Amino acid sequence: MGIIKTQEVVFEYIRRDEEGNVEGITTAVDHVNLDIKQGQFIAILGHNGSGKSTLAKHINAILTPTEGTVWVGGMDTSKEEKVWDIRQTAGMVFQNPDNQIIGQVVEEDVGFGPENIGIPTKEIWERVEESLKAVGMYAFRKYSPNKLSGGQKQRVSIAGVFAMHPKCIVLDEPTAMLDPNGRREVIRAVRGLNQVEGVTVILITHYMEEIIHADRAFVMDKGRIAMEGTPREIFSQVEKLQELRLDVPQVTLLAHELQKRGIALPNGILTTQELADQLVPLGKRGN
Amino acid sequence: MLRDITLGQYYQTDSVLHRLDPRVKLAGTLLYIISLFFFRNFIGYLIAAAFLAVVIKLSRVPFKFMVKGMKAILFLLLITVVFNLFLTPGEPLLSVWKLTVTKEGLGTAVTMAVRLVMLVIGSSVMTLTTTPNNLTDGMEKGMRPLKVFKVPVHEVAMMMSIALRFIPILLEETDKIMKAQIARGADFESGNLIRRAKALVPLLVPLFISAFRRANDLAMAMEARCYRGGEGRTKMKPLIYQKRDRVAYLCILFYLVGSICVGRLLL
Repeated sequence: MGIIKTQEVVFEYIRRDEEGNVEGITTAVDHVNLDIKQGQFIAILGHNGSGKSTLAKHINAILTPTEGTVWVGGMDTSKEEKVWDIRQTAGMVFQNPDNQIIGQVVEEDVGFGPENIGIPTKEIWERVEESLKAVGMYAFRKYSPNKLSGGQKQRVSIAGVFAMHPKCIVLDEPTAMLDPNGRREVIRAVRGLNQVEGVTVILITHYMEEIIHADRAFVMDKGRIAMEGTPREIFSQVEKLQELRLDVPQVTLLAHELQKRGIALPNGILTTQELADQLVPLGKRGN
Repeated sequence: MLRDITLGQYYQTDSVLHRLDPRVKLAGTLLYIISLFFFRNFIGYLIAAAFLAVVIKLSRVPFKFMVKGMKAILFLLLITVVFNLFLTPGEPLLSVWKLTVTKEGLGTAVTMAVRLVMLVIGSSVMTLTTTPNNLTDGMEKGMRPLKVFKVPVHEVAMMMSIALRFIPILLEETDKIMKAQIARGADFESGNLIRRAKALVPLLVPLFISAFRRANDLAMAMEARCYRGGEGRTKMKPLIYQKRDRVAYLCILFYLVGSICVGRLLL
């Protein structure tokens, strides 16, 4: 069993009218099975309302499944007495950077998590330093979070979670409110944690470019897992992605269109460099 | 105008005052405010002003930051002065229509104004030199004895710290909503008091909705980071009195005794 495993997980939101009578049931997560190994970089994609955020909240035991089971580090999330151990194993970063920073100074915010789990003072400082360095925010440790850019705030949030030494970090659309620069900073920091520190990363997003470096990607639609595979496998199915209302990166789309016009290109091209490498020899041959 | 309130805003710099234990600063501010209400003559206020000036100098916070905080209480100040000026009975000095300014009224009005100004500047110095987290740490530890009476000291301290952290964010948001509503033709400036109060509804409703949403998000983020109240929590910056804190206590004590003696007894 991997670090995170879900078995036939179903989650239903019950909608009620003003008198509290059941009006209808929305199934946000519908029979999802995942098995994620320690150290992997996992991406979960999907458009708004596909159930990806609801699924993410199950991994941190903020929500517990209506049916099925979620195990985090071998612990069943529906067991109430394990909830703090689970949250320590799987940290979570949310969408809005302003609404998850508690401290008035960057270093105090990063120290908040370790304080909560009762780490001795001296070690808190070591962890704060290590975490801020890991996301490249050590120079800003004395700053007020209000003076940072969105990308910087989000990196502080990531450091705050990393300081609790989780085995796994779930990021729920961490880049949705950021500009392209901030988005790049955050993704770089996340990749660093994954590759250098060996933290399992589950990145939830609707930006296709961000999943290129993932080991495995899942595409969600209407609460179900609609596609699964390596980013390359996912990207090679351009029509299906468009059907699921996801934006395919421009390069991939261009390669796909060229392919349709009869140019011999491999499936699932992810970067501009790759496309160029494929096209140059073709051009030479044509001359 | 909305961003001018400095109460609860930390000013980042390095000074003796910034490094002081928050408990010293809290006790100092409290004693300073108490002292202001003990004086019977103006020499007392002179000493208090001199003490405040020294403290501001030591804090290395530009004076304009403290003056900015004053704008917020300008209205309160005005009301206090006007009421005291006209409604205190005594020896009439000046009479316009039905309103009479008395000698005693003038005296109280000036004292009240001076007290208020010094009170606000004094507490601004504390909030400008202490991070809210530090401040609440100070309160939590300073008020720990109250736990015996089942006062939720940690919870109150945490709530205050969060409230302080969200003041600038919510102010910015108010500004944004205000501009958005003005762009849609809302009028916050003209009309009588009732009309203006009514005009605030389209400002307050979105602000409250957003504040609730933020509160919900923050609570979730705190729980996700294993926050479960004060039990079993360690401190990143535990409060331990240093030599400078003892010196500061002595200074405050010296000021308190000195100023009250002079301000009350000497004539």
